[in-house]
Amino acid sequence: MLFTWFLLAGLILLIAPAKWTSNFQFAFLRVFNWPLRIGENISLSVGTREHLTAGDVVSRREHNQLKNYCANLEAKLAREQQRIETLTRLPNRSFLGNAKLVEALVYTSSIDKTNGELSMDAGGNRDLERGQFVLAENSIIGTISDVSPVGARVKLLTSPASNIAVEMGGVKRFMQGIGGNKAKIPMIKQKPEIGTEVMAARSAGFLNTLIIVGRVAGCERNAESAALWDIIVEPALDIDELRDVVVIVMNPRN
Amino acid sequence: MRWFRFAGLILLVMVVQASMLANLNSGPNLLLILVVFFSIYCDLDEAIITSFAIGFAADLSGSSMPMGPQTLSFGLLGTALAYLRRVVNVRNMASQALAIFCVALLAGALAQLLAVLKGQAFTAETWGILLRIAVYSGVVGPFLFLPSAWWMRIRPSRLSR
Repeated sequence: MLFTWFLLAGLILLIAPAKWTSNFQFAFLRVFNWPLRIGENISLSVGTREHLTAGDVVSRREHNQLKNYCANLEAKLAREQQRIETLTRLPNRSFLGNAKLVEALVYTSSIDKTNGELSMDAGGNRDLERGQFVLAENSIIGTISDVSPVGARVKLLTSPASNIAVEMGGVKRFMQGIGGNKAKIPMIKQKPEIGTEVMAARSAGFLNTLIIVGRVAGCERNAESAALWDIIVEPALDIDELRDVVVIVMNPRN
Repeated sequence: MRWFRFAGLILLVMVVQASMLANLNSGPNLLLILVVFFSIYCDLDEAIITSFAIGFAADLSGSSMPMGPQTLSFGLLGTALAYLRRVVNVRNMASQALAIFCVALLAGALAQLLAVLKGQAFTAETWGILLRIAVYSGVVGPFLFLPSAWWMRIRPSRLSR
């Protein structure tokens, strides 16, 4: 009789769904986690001692070299993954037509918010030229002001030296950087609403579509004419968090 | 039968089996050795209870297999051995080793077949592993009988039955 009951219990256990019965196994692993870990460590340390032969061991120097090599490879892999992420973050890449996108890494320490400048490393790409637009997080952040063999200097839209054509509500104007992470569109007749989007205007050879540059952050009366407004624009993204950018090359050499 | 001592022994062996012996591709199955031990030295009812209980413990600790197959196979083989003990004397270490070897082979094969019913994959390599486990268990098993008997307070006179 006893045997029959146990046999029945065993059969129930056998035909019960695995997702229910596996809870027992997980419970055992949870409850005895500590002694199981100790046992595994003992087993592994004994196993390692037994199986290591002279051919399996390398010198400390070689070990460190290989470790550093691995670290470099991992960093390169992370960089490549970041590049892929940067490019895939452009959900509507089609709006740029056949333009070539050159990825570049921003030197974080080179970001100068006061003067509105930064340096970037484009890996020696030869398509970079002065005046090309620099894109990050789907918004224009500035234009290339100087090109070097390995990278370029970027003049942010907020730089006092920056002056680009923009469109706001269908009206074309020039936007002047004023430093302090701000730019100004002077002498606008109609006061826009705060938050209105400001787009970079098309520019032959550099940009063939409208792309956002920032949003209206405030309006001030013009000093010369009280009937006109000076519009304060803030960039569409936080420059401090900038890591990767993309340069729009409308006429690539290859 | 001292059930608290039995529970303590099973828990200890479960932990050892699931941790220290788990990394071995095919080592001795300590729980199976205990099934044979209790089937040989306990009464029939106790042998049935301990066989199924140890089978359940084996299912709990052997995470590669679903629950149930080892409970049934250990229970069936342990009970069968407890019945067989009435006609076959397992006195010396050689016969104990042989008993462990046979039970390990049969219980392992039955557990694998039952596991197939639950969707577990079965490869040709499994037979080799089962055979190695049976051999290792048969070799190691008889040496564990004495400490197990001491822990369970089973009289030596019963051991030499």
